[in-house]
Amino acid sequence: MLRLLRTLSWRHVQRHRLRTLLTFLGITLGVGVIVAIAVVNRSLTGSFQSTIEQIAGKAVLQVSNGESGIIESAFPVIRDTAGVQDAAAAVEGFLPVRGAEKERLYVYGVDLLTDSAIRDHQFVGAKSDLDQALDFISMPDSIALTESFSRRLNLPLGTKITLTTSRGKQDYTVRALLREDGMAKVFGGNLALMDLPVAQQALGKEGKLDIVDLTVEEGEKIEAVRERLVQRLQGAAEAERPRKRGEQIELLLTSFRVGLFFVSLIALFVGFFLIYNTVSVSVVQRKREIGTLRCLGMKRGELLRLIVVEALILALIGSLAGSVFGWLLAQLALVAVGETVGNLFSLVDLGPGIFTLRELGLSLASGLAVAVLAALHPALEAIRVSPLENARQTAWSPSFRGKKSWATRLGLFCLVASPLIIFLPPPLPGPVQQFSVGVIGMLVFLLGLAFLCPLIINYGVRWFWHWALRLPGSSWVEARVASDSLRRNPVRSGITVATLVISLAAIFTIAAFVNSVRGSLLAWVDQMVTADLIVSSGARTAGPRNVPLKEDPLSGLKAVPGVKIVDLYRLIRSSYQGQPIVIESFSARESATVRTLPMASGDGARALGEMGEGKGVIISESFQSRFGKGANDTIELTTPSGRIAFRILAVYVDYSSDVGSVLIDRALYKQYWRDELVDAFDLWLDAGADQQAVIADIKEQYGEPYQLFISTHGELRKAVVHIMEQSFVVNYAVEIVAVVVAIFSVINTLLASILDRTREIGVLRAIGATQAQVRRIVVLEAGWMGVLGGVLGLFAGTVMSYHHVVYNTKVLTGWTFQFYYPYDVALLSVVASVILCVIAGYGPSKQAAATPIVAAIGYE
Amino acid sequence: MIRCIDVRKVYRQGKNEITALDGVSLDIARGEFAVIMGPSGSGKSTLLHLIGGLDRPTSGELLVDQRLVGQMADDQITLFRRTRIGFVFQFFNLLPTLTALENVILPFVLDGRSKQEAEQRATTLLDKVGLENRKDHLPEEMSGGEIQRIAVARALAFDPPILLADEPTGNLDSKTGESILSLLREINRGSGCTIVMVTHSQEAAGYGDRTIFFRDGKVEKENT
Ligand SMILES: Nc1ncnc2c1ncn2[C@@H]1O[C@H](COP(=O)(O)OP(=O)(O)O)[C@@H](O)[C@H]1O
Ligand SMILES: [Mg+2]
Repeated sequence: MLRLLRTLSWRHVQRHRLRTLLTFLGITLGVGVIVAIAVVNRSLTGSFQSTIEQIAGKAVLQVSNGESGIIESAFPVIRDTAGVQDAAAAVEGFLPVRGAEKERLYVYGVDLLTDSAIRDHQFVGAKSDLDQALDFISMPDSIALTESFSRRLNLPLGTKITLTTSRGKQDYTVRALLREDGMAKVFGGNLALMDLPVAQQALGKEGKLDIVDLTVEEGEKIEAVRERLVQRLQGAAEAERPRKRGEQIELLLTSFRVGLFFVSLIALFVGFFLIYNTVSVSVVQRKREIGTLRCLGMKRGELLRLIVVEALILALIGSLAGSVFGWLLAQLALVAVGETVGNLFSLVDLGPGIFTLRELGLSLASGLAVAVLAALHPALEAIRVSPLENARQTAWSPSFRGKKSWATRLGLFCLVASPLIIFLPPPLPGPVQQFSVGVIGMLVFLLGLAFLCPLIINYGVRWFWHWALRLPGSSWVEARVASDSLRRNPVRSGITVATLVISLAAIFTIAAFVNSVRGSLLAWVDQMVTADLIVSSGARTAGPRNVPLKEDPLSGLKAVPGVKIVDLYRLIRSSYQGQPIVIESFSARESATVRTLPMASGDGARALGEMGEGKGVIISESFQSRFGKGANDTIELTTPSGRIAFRILAVYVDYSSDVGSVLIDRALYKQYWRDELVDAFDLWLDAGADQQAVIADIKEQYGEPYQLFISTHGELRKAVVHIMEQSFVVNYAVEIVAVVVAIFSVINTLLASILDRTREIGVLRAIGATQAQVRRIVVLEAGWMGVLGGVLGLFAGTVMSYHHVVYNTKVLTGWTFQFYYPYDVALLSVVASVILCVIAGYGPSKQAAATPIVAAIGYE
Repeated sequence: MIRCIDVRKVYRQGKNEITALDGVSLDIARGEFAVIMGPSGSGKSTLLHLIGGLDRPTSGELLVDQRLVGQMADDQITLFRRTRIGFVFQFFNLLPTLTALENVILPFVLDGRSKQEAEQRATTLLDKVGLENRKDHLPEEMSGGEIQRIAVARALAFDPPILLADEPTGNLDSKTGESILSLLREINRGSGCTIVMVTHSQEAAGYGDRTIFFRDGKVEKENT
């Protein structure tokens, strides 16, 4: 075996360096994509959790209530609960640094004296931690930075740092540096410690706490203490283990991760196809050599083993290279994912960590398994060939048995199964499971179409090769030989066309989805936001979110000439039944005359009226589908004032969050949540007022200290679309991979197909075909694949995207999107498919034209 | 019609050099039916390929139909092959996916003629080789002799002044072979087409006007 490998296989590798390289690259690329996805998913899993655990220190229980917070007076209640040993209160939030664009500090406000029981803060160069703490607390503008942050922004001890707080800009003095350990490692060191009251002021959370960290007395069961706490808090906050809290926050990411999973499934699919394609093509291409070996008396079993071992060796090397490549790819992807998550939810610490054995296993397993599978089918076919067949005038017997082939049967089966999966799904518990079934149904459909590609080529090309006659400069011969060549090995060309179809379908589905989301979102923004101007703090904390402002200093906005109505908008994250939700509020009474609400059901104006009178709340469509609540039901929300029941007035559409939102009047909100912060001031102007003049006025009066950001309705629309598009960066990356894979497999197939037909090309040249004519044959062949792949891919993409927008999205997020068909992308993708294939065919076509005639017609 | 002056052809295979033709000089007159014989590897096919412009001589002069085929540009020589030379090989003459008729019209269509015109001409040619009833058959449905006849018909597409045949009967039983040879002689006599044929068999050689013997890339002797 070894000798055989050394002599036969090694020689083959040396003789066909380009082919071997292509196969190797195919495996590398395929495995790379698979590995990259695995690494990204792993980094995302537990990313929030680990941050929370790092911050939690020794705490075994945490009392919190999302962004609703806890009233400070509840602290003694918590601390004095039986079984609680130490309790430390904290507020948290992100604040931007003045003069350092893009730098955001995670501000953590604690009582340094009690906090040491929970967290071990190590100050650099302090005699004792306690001394340091007392110094620190005695001055009200103290801030502690991490060593790395202080070094990076050149802020040594004693210097001033300016932050944009809820009360405008504020100066702080760096009075301590934290050694980077434990908590100080989170968010890449962008952490600042403040004394509790100082932080409360900066974050606008006077009288409130975000988290109370607890340790439990020795001998006490954590669960027992937790239950006692829940009992005593009476719904004013929740008590959880840090890990559980991390898991809950991570639920925010569910839809995003499921979306990523969906995209990665497509990428996986494409990756597997690529490996299969390259390996099988490389075996198919050696049929003649295999025939010769059989002539020389090699046994079938031996040959089969040789081929499989060869594929395994190549796959092994390819998989290892793929692991490295995937690892690099993951770094890039993680930057994009981190940005997206940061924009949509919160800063997140994403790092690839170390390459795990599991990932190595995955890469080897996928590379080797698919390669063997891919080699086996053509190898079995090749060794069945009688040894002499290649030496004589080859009889043309298509390797494809049309309607009766296994591929066709499997394809038809898939096509029948897919609607069954989608329309008759098994009863499933959660939206994620339902979504998964929807996606599986979609992929089965795609797979079915892929399996039917050989059949479609076999019949399709026969029907429409005549069209090529109309192309300028090409004659019957070229069109005919090109289409015959495709039909001759429909399995091989089928695999390539299928790869094109899958890539294109994936691209189109994503494009149509984005288009539909954009369309629906814009229509929604127009209904949801009727204000002429939206004023908020320009100090960004995470993506579009910014530092909330205090209400009173800006109440003067109403007096600005030209301003008719001012309404205050607030959005916080909360939870309902252990699941994340969003609570939105504004004064429906203030803006009743100018506001509209996009309704899922019910009369918007009436619902807004009733909400303004404090009769109840309006829930979003996502909330409705997630928790099964509707109009006239009652929901109990956990507020800082305890558990409060609200009646549901109506259901509205909210695309700003898919976790489900509850809309409540500001008066009620302030009463129960004890929160006066404002995220945005919605301004309606007098008819005929000069918008620019109003903006200038506001900027002059309030701009500087608050870094106010004023956007017009049009600017808001643009910003919304921008944020949405940013959240699709990973999808775009997958699209690029899909395109690369498609081009790659077209080149690969063409090269193999040319090698297969060397003699015919020789004969054609001998009887007077010019090099240009031979080139045109190959380019036409490529063009055919482009046309078939383009048309079929568009068809698949249309069906899939409709299903994805209308069904899958609804199931996962509760959102109902209008389906906006992207006509431009549809046209473009077919045209691009053809053009890219033609370009891909150019290299192989030159190779075909350069075929030395004598060698080609020589009979080995 | 064909004049070789000290033609040499050396193949390079890595470091090895294989001298396929080692200074061949010979003249073949217009309308002649020349037969080339010789042991395997003696350079017969190589000479045919050079004459037909499928490859270029390493040195020496090669005049075919008054042209120096060794020095023509690729497109030029392709056109020359298309219209002035007919080829018949031992194996694999036809494109397996095309019918007999389609195979015969190939040279016309490659030349940009309309398919109708080409089909008319091809039908005449198929008639000439006695196979008009097989025109819609694929090569795999035909016998070896029939395939060679189709190949001859295709070679005659443009009434070329020169027909080159490399062991056209090597793969056929003797009776079928004879019919092909008769066909070639008929063509030679009928239209004055110059034929150069490589063969291994004495009987086949009997159909020619003149036999040239090759050995080790050189002309060994001639019988007229
Ligand atoms: N393309 C080629 N590359 C290398 N050597 C070749 C090639 N074609 C022919 N030869 C060599 O040239 C010599 C003459 O070959 P050929 O003309 O085919 O002989 P014949 O037709 O008389 O059997 C042989 O030794 C053969 O191996
Ligand atoms: Mg020979």
